[in-house]
Amino acid sequence: MKYSILITLMLSASALLATDKAQSVDTAAIEQTNAELSRVKAEVAQAKAEAALATTKANEAKKESAKIAQELAFVKAEKEEELAAAAAAEEVLRKNKTIHISVVGQGVAPMNTSSPAQAYALAKRAAIADAYRAIAEKVKGVRIDGQDTIKNMMVQRSTIRTYVQAMVKNADIVETTFKEGLCEVEMEILISHSDFAQ
Amino acid sequence: MRSRDGNLNFSLRLCSIVIFSSLALCADEYLISYKYIVKDATLYNENLFISKAMTKCQGNPQEEFILQNSGEDSLKKLISKNSEEFIEYIHKLGLNVSHDEKTTNLQNSYTTVLTLKTTCFKVDFNDNFAIIAPLK
Repeated sequence: MKYSILITLMLSASALLATDKAQSVDTAAIEQTNAELSRVKAEVAQAKAEAALATTKANEAKKESAKIAQELAFVKAEKEEELAAAAAAEEVLRKNKTIHISVVGQGVAPMNTSSPAQAYALAKRAAIADAYRAIAEKVKGVRIDGQDTIKNMMVQRSTIRTYVQAMVKNADIVETTFKEGLCEVEMEILISHSDFAQ
Repeated sequence: MRSRDGNLNFSLRLCSIVIFSSLALCADEYLISYKYIVKDATLYNENLFISKAMTKCQGNPQEEFILQNSGEDSLKKLISKNSEEFIEYIHKLGLNVSHDEKTTNLQNSYTTVLTLKTTCFKVDFNDNFAIIAPLK
């Protein structure tokens, strides 16, 4: 009987000790879990904040891209308008239509002229040639050739050459002025479709 | 016997033949070329070459021009007396334009050459005037 009571007591004591131990283990785990939870929560909050920031940034970027796209569309529309205006301004030679071209040529007299009349005549001739060149440039176009020589990151020589080759006929002198050695000849030409018809 | 009208008709025909043949005989053919060079806005060189054609030219007269003549039978003298008008006429006929411009280190220079390629002209000399026309 004594032994049985002793054993019972021992068992109850061991049970009590075991529950205490389990309780202590459970609180530590809960604390740890709570800490982990709070950390995870903080991480989640941070992630949320980061996501919100990223969303705002994305929204801003979207807005900016929309703005840029709008600007691009505006620039494109402007360019198109410019091109349309240029196309409207650029005359095209059609049948039964004429194009009127007016230019001003300039020429100067040589230094060694024997009289003002000679100076005028020579300057006028030079001005006519310049006006012919201008007409040829307008009607036929210019061939341009450029060459730059660069040595040790420095431009040594920059050359631009332009060529014009054309045949001009029926150009009329409208007005000639001669002032201080400079002669200006205003010249015009009417180009019709039949002039180019073969 | 011929009637008076018939004789008149015959004489008119004869006169017209004589006049036209004389005009045709007076018509000469000349080769003319013209060239002038402008360098940096100043007239540099000008050439007008006139030569009598040694062979018959082909083509029909176009765009006639009347030069005032005071009894000259030489085209060179005639043109030298009316040089400005004649050069203006040559310009109207059409000139080849050749322009070469060079800009080196922002310094610009250019040469423009205006040329009338050698063209055959028919010239009819008369007492007070001469008719000149290119054959094309």
